[in-house]
Amino acid sequence: MKSREEEYREIFMVEALEYYDAMSRHISELEKNPADAAALNELFRLMHNLKANARAMGYPAISEVAHRMETIFGLIRDKERTFEGNVVPVLFTGVDTIGEMIRAVGAGNELPSADTLLANLDRLVNGEEPILEDQPEADDDDANRKLELSDLVYIQIKKLDHLMNLVGELIIDRDRILTLSKESDSPALQATAAHLFRISDELQYSIMDVRLVNVGSLFNKFPRVVRDVAAAEKKDIALEVDGQDIQIDRNILQIITDSLLHLVRNAIGHGIEAPAVREQAGKPAQGQLTLAAQTERDNVLIQVSDDGAGINVDSVRRKAVERGLVSAEAAQQLDDDAVRAFLFEPGFSMAKEITDISGRGVGLDVVKLAIDSLGGQLRVSSTLGKGTTFTLVLPTSIAVKGALLFELDARSYAIPLMHTDSVVSLQPEDLHVVGGLLLAEVQDENVPVVDLRRLLHNGDGPLPPANRHELQGRQDIIIVNYNNRKLGLIIDRFLRQQSIVIKPMSKPLDTIDLFGGVTLLGSGQVCLVLDVPALTRLFLAKRP
Amino acid sequence: MKNRILIVDDSFYMRTMLKNMLTDAGYEVVGEAANGQQALEMAAATRPDLITLDVILPDNTGLDVLKGIREDQPDVKVVMCSAVGQEVIVNEALESGATAYIVKPFSEEKVLEIVGSALQTSGSSEA
Repeated sequence: MKSREEEYREIFMVEALEYYDAMSRHISELEKNPADAAALNELFRLMHNLKANARAMGYPAISEVAHRMETIFGLIRDKERTFEGNVVPVLFTGVDTIGEMIRAVGAGNELPSADTLLANLDRLVNGEEPILEDQPEADDDDANRKLELSDLVYIQIKKLDHLMNLVGELIIDRDRILTLSKESDSPALQATAAHLFRISDELQYSIMDVRLVNVGSLFNKFPRVVRDVAAAEKKDIALEVDGQDIQIDRNILQIITDSLLHLVRNAIGHGIEAPAVREQAGKPAQGQLTLAAQTERDNVLIQVSDDGAGINVDSVRRKAVERGLVSAEAAQQLDDDAVRAFLFEPGFSMAKEITDISGRGVGLDVVKLAIDSLGGQLRVSSTLGKGTTFTLVLPTSIAVKGALLFELDARSYAIPLMHTDSVVSLQPEDLHVVGGLLLAEVQDENVPVVDLRRLLHNGDGPLPPANRHELQGRQDIIIVNYNNRKLGLIIDRFLRQQSIVIKPMSKPLDTIDLFGGVTLLGSGQVCLVLDVPALTRLFLAKRP
Repeated sequence: MKNRILIVDDSFYMRTMLKNMLTDAGYEVVGEAANGQQALEMAAATRPDLITLDVILPDNTGLDVLKGIREDQPDVKVVMCSAVGQEVIVNEALESGATAYIVKPFSEEKVLEIVGSALQTSGSSEA
């Protein structure tokens, strides 16, 4: 853990070097155009900030130089001095000296003396001629000066994507080599393979780390959005933002931008009530909207919460029946979570009137699709009259996912851990048949169970009614979870849990949405990655 | 309920220091703005109890921001942050409705004292 003093020092250094770079740039602009007001203002401001920061940080020498430079740039700005003649080299020396001093601080060296410079700057302030050192010597210094480059580089995300893909390939080959080495009896090969494993692991995590950005870089755009939307909707809303420091892959943040925008607009448009309505309900007139991020195990949770009217489960239930998504009888038996899940069905809108802000463009189904494409989860919880919270469960990084490997008909398959709830082994007598459907009681909840082999190979028609007596012996079942719906899949055998690199399916197989992609196992075997959302939809379509 | 504070300063270093001081003292820092535009947006969106406002900002001067905020929120307390040599601007700010001012570099004690007493000044609309 860094001490606060160290943290301040680091921030001071980074910012001071930025200031120095900007000062060098602006003073060169000023040399080309001495009347450049924008450059003058910036120089004044940068000197001002450096002065204050250096003084607070305990570097009075830097502060002294910056203070005088600020004064002179202020005088030039106010047309009391002009940027010409002997003023120019003195101010250039001033900027150079500031650079030297900052670098000396960074290197832990003693700061260079600035007495000559300070005397000349005082002369300029007092309207006197500066005393310049021998011109040729100064030129020599300039000519020999080393060019300093910033410690920071900007990288196009495209290049990082490419690196990430290469690492993905590398990991697959690495796993293959590791398996081969174990089969061989060469200790040297085994040791090298083990080393390759560690190094490539570190490489993979380093590249993942480089791609991480603060969630705050997206959150910070929201105060403006909230203000504009609230004004258009005539709502009074306070926005609270929390967890800006949480880090996530830059591309994931990019993909969820529109979703987050939609959820926030929805919360203001439909969630939070008009001030008068709120007051009638005994709530403060000002609505509260919270954007929060936190980490949970390997995932990042982003929550959009409002203290608005909440979701009326009964109206959603009615609407779902009206739209034929579920029969009236079945609807009555669904619990609240299952009913709220209808909100994510394509084209399902609860908006009574379409407002400019929230009634157009993407619906919750599109939000859901975006989150699904990342292998994430979208959840909603709500209390009528109290408010609604949407939770986005996102992977920290896109390339590598934790997965559960299992076997079915002697083939290996993988299911992303993000969608696995639990694994259970049950005897046939632990399963019940209700309405042609197998049900298992898992953690006090009745979960429908289906033989995965049947689900995948049954053709287009509905599944035949389940029969418990067909099951022989202990059944290995993976409970998957999608959109608050749990589903048990009977498989042949659990293999293991493993990090996998998912490669998208190539054409023409990419249209089979049951499989999210493929991965290569260390054995060289191709392993299909099951797409839980598609599998759940398939089950709902084919259930008896 | 914690008093909610918005920090406006173009230096990340200053913002970090102020934020730590205020958070440690039990205030809630609701936002940090680095320029005048952001300051106006965040002030409108977060409706803070108090704003610490740097007098020199990249796009507007602190004075313009002060006037902008005052039009919208007459009751928010505004503490101007200045450095030595800006007495003229500070005086003008006080005439334009700033509640108080602090001179940089500031000590933690001084910041808390001035922020604390600014929050106590009358004219607050809060019940």
